[in-house]
Amino acid sequence: MKFGLFYEHQLPKPYDGDQWDPDAEHKLLKDALDQVELADQLGFDYIFEVEHHFLEEYAHSSAPEIFLAAASQRTKNIRLGHGIALMPPRYNHPARVAERISTLDLISDGRVEFGTGESASEMELGGFGVPREEKKLQWEEATRQCVRMMTETPYPGYEGAYFGMPERNVIPKPLQKPHPPLWVASSRRETTMVAARLGMGSLGFAFEKPEEAAERVQQYFELVREECTPIGVAINPSLAVLSSLMCCDSDEEAMAKGVEGTQFFSYSLAYYYNPFTGAKHPPGKGHIYKKFKDTPEDERMGMFGGRGRGFGGFKPDEEPEDEVQRALWRAAQRGGCIGTPDFIRETLLKYEAAHLDTMIFVAQSGTRKHEDIMESLEKFGKQVLPEFKERHKEHQKWRDGQLAGVDFEINSSI
Amino acid sequence: MAATNVEKIKDAELRETMATAHKALKEGDYLGVVRRSGDVYLELLERKPELLAEGGIPAMMRIRMFPRLGARLEREGEEAPTLVWDRETFGFSEAVTYFEFAVDQLVGEGL
Repeated sequence: MKFGLFYEHQLPKPYDGDQWDPDAEHKLLKDALDQVELADQLGFDYIFEVEHHFLEEYAHSSAPEIFLAAASQRTKNIRLGHGIALMPPRYNHPARVAERISTLDLISDGRVEFGTGESASEMELGGFGVPREEKKLQWEEATRQCVRMMTETPYPGYEGAYFGMPERNVIPKPLQKPHPPLWVASSRRETTMVAARLGMGSLGFAFEKPEEAAERVQQYFELVREECTPIGVAINPSLAVLSSLMCCDSDEEAMAKGVEGTQFFSYSLAYYYNPFTGAKHPPGKGHIYKKFKDTPEDERMGMFGGRGRGFGGFKPDEEPEDEVQRALWRAAQRGGCIGTPDFIRETLLKYEAAHLDTMIFVAQSGTRKHEDIMESLEKFGKQVLPEFKERHKEHQKWRDGQLAGVDFEINSSI
Repeated sequence: MAATNVEKIKDAELRETMATAHKALKEGDYLGVVRRSGDVYLELLERKPELLAEGGIPAMMRIRMFPRLGARLEREGEEAPTLVWDRETFGFSEAVTYFEFAVDQLVGEGL
């Protein structure tokens, strides 16, 4: 199994203030670069960085290509993932995405992972004028054309439903041939099955349990073998899932340092993706962290549908039926990887047994301190990661077996 | 069809409908896939009235769980939900989303 870090660049407002400290965003990004540099030295395999817009406090990561470019110059081996680039053309013209992905691939010596998606928050869809009911269709069209731009000389031009352009040679071309590994954000199981059928990696943001991951892995590879029609030139048969990481000497210390950040991650995500709160967010004036802190801990769960209160309205300890709500509910629990190295190892062994390719950790979230994140990364990187890295060859053999008979060209970093 | 969960659907009629939807997916009839997926989800809600009986937000979530990618479910008051079409052309990824959702729901509810 491989390991990655996932960055939203969360920045809660100070509880007692209306706005952030003037240096807060600067420090947030510089600290994150330090974390990525350490992760690279420790042998982490990936960072994946989101693209979100206008989601104050939840994600100050609107220009991931800039951050990843900076990271590329401070690291040697870690792969640089868009997790994900927003593909509907009103967010990003497909030619501009192709140019940026290729340039990043060149300056990083071929370390780019091209994650794609569409987002679902009203703040973003409304902000850029992307109709919700068309976002997936726009994603599919733009992604298909973007890959052609990276691989065809010249790109012959296109007139589609959501964008068009004349014949042009879109340059530069990426270093990885035919193109960097393709991924799609999969917050629902359905999208994992879309990924398999299109030959894309599935960036699972649903906090799946090991047994669920096992079922998805099996079905995913069956679909790759039997029903795949690649969206690109090369397929990237890969599954990644998300978990929260805080690795400390004792469970108590890990909980104290890690749980609030995990809960804020879920709370702020639920806030923006809930149509009753996210669509009504007052830009520049809201204070999500204050709302979070002022809500009693057991009632915060209602936001995700876990305590019979709030908009979810579910019974205590009953997981929500809707997959996205369920993911938020789970993420707000202790989290799979908040604890001692032994606790985390035991958890990860279950995912390894399920043949999961990659575990991606949310390390930075909420008000977690930079120093705590660095210590946690170091502890995990030295005490847990090496044995999984050692066994990855066995996983690769299993994976080769799954892909036996698949005739498509493969470009995957697993 | 080993790669899908269609065989896990217990009800023969519903299984046949989703098998037909799967065939339509392979043949590029994406509207047909969405139509059949919508039909079986409405059938599920009709056969399992308890899913909407509680009313309020849980019932609303049951309606809104159905993907809203050009076809969606709407419900007036306590009436039975209906399928509303925003358009009649669908992409591959949209069709797969509706198909997988419908199959998962049927299997999950033991039908």
